[in-house]
This record gives sequence, structure tokens and C-alpha cells, in this order.
Amino acid sequence: MARQLTPFGRVLLVLCGLALLGYGLYRYGVFSKIAGIVAPDRKAEGTVSKDDFGALPSSTATPASTSTTPAKGGSRLNRPIKVAIVTWGGYAGGIYANGGNAPNKDSVFYKEQGIEVELLVIDDFEKSRDAFRAGGDKGGVDIMWSTVDAYALEYGGIKKLNPKAILQYDWSRGGDAIAVDASIKSVADLKGKKLACAEATPSHYFALYALTQGGLTNRDVQWVFTTSAVEAANVFKAGKVDAAVSWSPDVYIAARERPGAHILASTKEASNLIADIFVARGDFVDQHPEDVRRFVAGWLKGVDLANANPEKTAVLLTKSFSGIGLEDAKGMLQDVKLPNYAENKAFFNPQATLASYASIYKTSQGIWRRIGKINEVFEPYQTVDTRFLDSVAEFFPGAGEAKPEFEFKAPPKAAAAPILTKTVSVYYPTGSSTLDENAKAVLETQVVDLAATFGNAYLRIAGNTDNVGNRDANVKLSRARADAVARFLISQGFDRNKFDVVGNGPDKPISTNETDEGRAKNRRTDFEVIPR
Amino acid sequence: MEIREPLSRKKARSLALAGLVVFLTSWAVLTYGGIVPSVILPTPTEVLQAFPILHFEEALVRSAGWSIYRVTLGFLLAAMVAVPLGLLMGTYPAVRHFFDPVLDPLRFLPISALVPLTIVWFGIEEMQKVMFLFLGTFVYMLPLIVEAVEGVDDVYVQTATTLGATKSQIVTQVLIPGSLPAMAEAMRVMNGIGWTYVIMAEVINARYGLGALITVAGKRGHVDRIFALVIVILVIGVVSDFVIRFVNKKLFFWKS
Repeated sequence: MARQLTPFGRVLLVLCGLALLGYGLYRYGVFSKIAGIVAPDRKAEGTVSKDDFGALPSSTATPASTSTTPAKGGSRLNRPIKVAIVTWGGYAGGIYANGGNAPNKDSVFYKEQGIEVELLVIDDFEKSRDAFRAGGDKGGVDIMWSTVDAYALEYGGIKKLNPKAILQYDWSRGGDAIAVDASIKSVADLKGKKLACAEATPSHYFALYALTQGGLTNRDVQWVFTTSAVEAANVFKAGKVDAAVSWSPDVYIAARERPGAHILASTKEASNLIADIFVARGDFVDQHPEDVRRFVAGWLKGVDLANANPEKTAVLLTKSFSGIGLEDAKGMLQDVKLPNYAENKAFFNPQATLASYASIYKTSQGIWRRIGKINEVFEPYQTVDTRFLDSVAEFFPGAGEAKPEFEFKAPPKAAAAPILTKTVSVYYPTGSSTLDENAKAVLETQVVDLAATFGNAYLRIAGNTDNVGNRDANVKLSRARADAVARFLISQGFDRNKFDVVGNGPDKPISTNETDEGRAKNRRTDFEVIPR
Repeated sequence: MEIREPLSRKKARSLALAGLVVFLTSWAVLTYGGIVPSVILPTPTEVLQAFPILHFEEALVRSAGWSIYRVTLGFLLAAMVAVPLGLLMGTYPAVRHFFDPVLDPLRFLPISALVPLTIVWFGIEEMQKVMFLFLGTFVYMLPLIVEAVEGVDDVYVQTATTLGATKSQIVTQVLIPGSLPAMAEAMRVMNGIGWTYVIMAEVINARYGLGALITVAGKRGHVDRIFALVIVILVIGVVSDFVIRFVNKKLFFWKS
């Protein structure tokens, strides 16, 4: 005889059925499939490795500008040129030329070029972009600051404004740095650690560069993304992360105030990585080319004057930026390098392949694309207008070619510890130290760019072999091979004293010598970046 | 139009609809007509096109889920603290005067100043985000609760006293039921406050979150995506507001 189920029993039965059904759906991945349709996850990030950075083949050279109209002509502007800047020493050239932030008739800009310039300090990134979008005629700005790596990231979003990079006003030289806790001695120690930085900013780019050159990838650290560099420094100071990439002065303060913390690396060593540039609105460039030309000329005049008069420049900075004292201003000037006319020409030269506008733009664009931040790509020449730089030569007679910037008086001390070690496999014929074309190509893509980017650091070239054969002969051979690498790099235009050559022979294996695979790993050349 | 003229339901609805239509039309005219360049104000089409990108590439639904979770949790925590405390403060002026000098000025606090502090106190994971939203909601919720309790007409309290009610009876039988509708209304208003802080709450280490998405979109100059995300937040706000209104109406039918 069937017994009537109580209401409770019925509910229980239904629940059991539902639970079984739910488990089945879960077990066979139906739920995750539904979740994938209703709430798809973010597009997967690719892996960024050392192969994503490197010198470009020189065949990518392209026209300097898409526009063929000369830089002169157009209508003249009847108001000051409005320029968005931030509290940063890199604007010293323009501040000098303008004698401050406000437009005035006593400035170099007015007296020599007949233009007036207004520098607007807009420290908030997004507000500066809003101002750029609005434009100088509508209460915004005509020209904004950016860095080449950040510009490559944001170009797609503002391409309707047809923006053009027109001038490099500084290299960050210590302005961006990586602060780490006491346990981290080199980039390789960052593996598995928590690393804070503002996402998709120069800090992020610097972090990716340092990680990959030190043998890690973007997947080897736990990223803690913040929306501003200051937040990243604060998170580090509070002891919530093991490392942070941020900018001066916050990153230095954080490293000083957190017990045991120190600065692992900065753009003082990675001297040619973060390039600050001015970007002008396309309509502004088209309508007032003559004003843009005069702006470029006046600014670069200011760079010469600022470089020649650091004391006066520091005083001017204190007036331009609120809350900045004289000592702060001098410190800010230490963190930047103001490139002059000749150095600007070299930087924007589309044929240049080392630490140039085109190479940094292309490399950073590739990185952002790889980690899913952008999906459209552009050629560097589309994003730049060098007509203005090309047409101001008359103001800089005798400028000549850009001189090598870094002089190395003596090789590094043997005990100096490297910031990072990049391991490269360079192949030689057995027993020989001759570099063949393949070896040279490897060095060109893997090492020349590293040496140029870390322009202000020593590079120790350490040859290593496996344990096959006589040790003394191996030490000698590895030394000869490292020497050959150094000679090749010197032939690429680097200072002889930048390089230190070491032959380790079989003494520093990174893998076992028992297997073929392990021995292959041990036959390698290590490039150690050593701070000055 | 008369001052405080009562409107029929139908008329009220059609007016609301007309307002929306006028707004959308002027948006369309301004953007398609080229009066405002689309880098400043994106066209409706561009905003619509931003949705699939946000959905398939930027995990829009997951982000919305996380933001709803954070805001709701912060809100519930705030209510759990503010309701009992507010009830005490509204019932006993002595308690209120004790807490006032500490809690009252908090409303003037620029809440963004709390971001670095919450990091130091609560770390960089979910706890920090929820606590930030809790603090931001709590400071505004508390005065409203106190006001709701104080707003119960003295007549009821006096009547209850005359009828011989004890202290606890007055609280449970008079003050609580009397202030509930106003409290519920306060909760409805407070529901929006958490959303106004969502961007600040998600400045650090938020893998998902509408606020984090807005910041990132702003950084890359995607005005269209910002608009799309703002619309998402508005829709969430309107829907949750509607739900709370509906529940309030059912619970406190005698009020309307």
C-alpha cells in the first residue's frame, strides 16, 4: 500500500532531485559553459618574455610623416598655446623658455619666437586627457604630455583626434623605480612575489621590461594593480606587497620608510626606456603649423638654457609647481635628462633602431597587445609628426650629431652585484670564439637593445661552458668568447669601458652536466646589468 | 501646472517617458548632428557597440557581480551597525550626545582620504574594499536612522507611558515599529551611496569590478565604454531601487 508523502517529505524529495541534477550539470561542465556565455571571463593574457623586447630590424623604416605639407603656413594662432604638464622636472626646458607657467611677453617663447605659451599643471591623468579631448579653443589644451609606451597604449582611444607626437622633452632618469623588500636582491628573486604597480602605465611597462630581461615572464609574479602610482607606493610602504614600481618621489619615500626595503632598479640605470613626449592635437597641427614649429624651437632653446643654468632652472621649478621647495626642485632635475635638438632629431629618426621613438613605440605596442590591453595596432610613423623638428635647424647652428651620452671611465668593480642577469645562448663553432652571422643576429635582438636601454649601467659579459673537456681550456675559451661578444657590442657604438668580460668556464653551471639538455643550458652567455 | 498638483498614475508615467525620450533625442541630435565631437560625447551607436567588447573581453557580467557583492556587503554591514546604534541614539539622548562629537563630523570627511588608511588597516584584498564601502555608507546612514527614531511622534510615546508600558515595551512596541518605514526609506536612499564610491573602492587590486573597469577605460581614452559602464551602474541602481521600493510598500502598506 502506497503511503501518502508528508509535505516535508515532498520538499525533501524535490531538493534531493535538484541537488542531483545540479551536481550532474556541474560535473559535466554545463554550469561553467553557461557561465562562459552569460559571464565570460576576461580575454586571457598572453605571456610576455624577453623575446618581446629587442631591436627592430632596420627594414621597418617608414616615411617620417604621413603629411606632406610643409611645417610653415596655415593661420597663426591669436591666443597662447595651451600645454598640459604635470609636477615633474622634465618640463624644465619649457618652463625656462616661458619663465614660468603663465603666458607672458618677457619669455624666450615670445621674444625669440613671437608666441605665447601657457603651461597648465594637470596632475590627474584622466583630467589631462579630458582637457586634450576638449582642445585649446574650448577651454582645454592643444598639447599634452605622454610617454612613448603610454602613448602606444592610448593612441587607439584618441586616434579620432589624429594626435601627433612632436617633441621629446625628457628621458626618465631615476624618475621611475622598483622598490623591493630586503629579501629581493635581483630581478630573479621577484619570482612568485607580490608586485604592485599602476596598471597600463610606464610603471607597468618598466616592470615588464625588468622582469623579462631578468629571465622571468609576466606570469611569474603576482600582480597587484592599483589605479595610480602613488597608491602602488603606499601599498608597498604599508607592507602589503613585496615590491612596487612607482615614480619619484613616492617610490623613494616608500623604500626609505619601510624597514629593510631598498630600490632594486630605476630608470637611472634603465636610462633609455621611459621617454616623455609631447603630443599635439591633429587639428591644431594642421591649422597652426607655424605656431607648433615655433613652440618646438622655443622649447628646445629652453632646454639648452636650462641645461646650462641648473640653479636658475631649479628656482623656476619651485615657482611653477606648488609645494616644491628648492631642494625638491634640484632633486627633480636629477631624475631627468632633457634631450636637446640634436638628441631629439636622433630620437625621432625613423631609421634609428636603438632606443628610438619608433623602436620603443613598436615594442611597447606589442607588449600591450600581448597582454590584451589593446587590439588595434598602428605604425609608429602614423603617430608622429617630425616636420617641426626637421624645420627648426636654423635656430640651432652647429648642433651637429647627438654625442654619446654616457662615458664610462673605468670598468665596474668585480664585487658589484647585478640588478638582473639576462641569459642568452650564443652558438659558436666547437672550440672557436668566432661570431657567425647567426650569433650576431642573436646579439642584435637580445643584447644590443638591453645595452642601449640600460645605457647608464655596466654590462658584465660572462661566458660559461659545460664540463666536457679540460677545465682550463674551457675557462680560456669562455673568456675568449665573451671577449668576442664585447668587441661586437663596441663595434655597435658602445663605450669600451661599459663592458666587463668574465670567463667562468664550467664553474657556474645552472643545470646538470649529466644530460645533453642540461649541458646545452650550461653553455651560455650571461649578461649582468650592474649599476654604476 | 499647479503647485503640488496630484497627478494620475498614467500621466506621471507618460511624463517620465517623455523626459527620457527628450534626453535621448538631444543626445542623438548633439552627437549624430556633429555638434559635439564624438571624442567628447560618444554617439548612442558607439556606446551600444561598446557593450559586446565589454562583455566578451572585459568580463562585464563578472565585474558587475563583484561590484554588486561588494556594495551589498558594505551596505549590510553598515545597516547592522547603524540600525542598533541609531536606535539607541534616537531613544536615549544621553547616548546620542556621547557619540555625536565623534560620529557627527564624519559626514564631512572626504571619503577618498580613507583609501590609504583602509589599505593599511585591511590589506589589499576584498576586506579592504568592503570595509571602505562600509565606512562610506555608515557615516551617512547613521544620522538618518537617528532621525527616523526621533521622528516618531511623542504622542505615541506618551500614550504608551500613560497606558503603563515599560521602557522595553516602548522601544519594541512604539519606537521600532514607528520608525521602521522611515528607516526603510533611509535604506533605499543609502543603497545609492555605495555605488557612488565603487570607483574609489576598486582602485587597488580589483581583478573584477565596474569601478575598476571605468578607471581602465578612462585611462585608455575609451569614452564610449565609460558611458556604457555608467549605464550599467544606473540600471543596477534603478532596478535595486525599484525592488526596495516594492518591498517597502508591501511591508509598510499603512504608510501609503
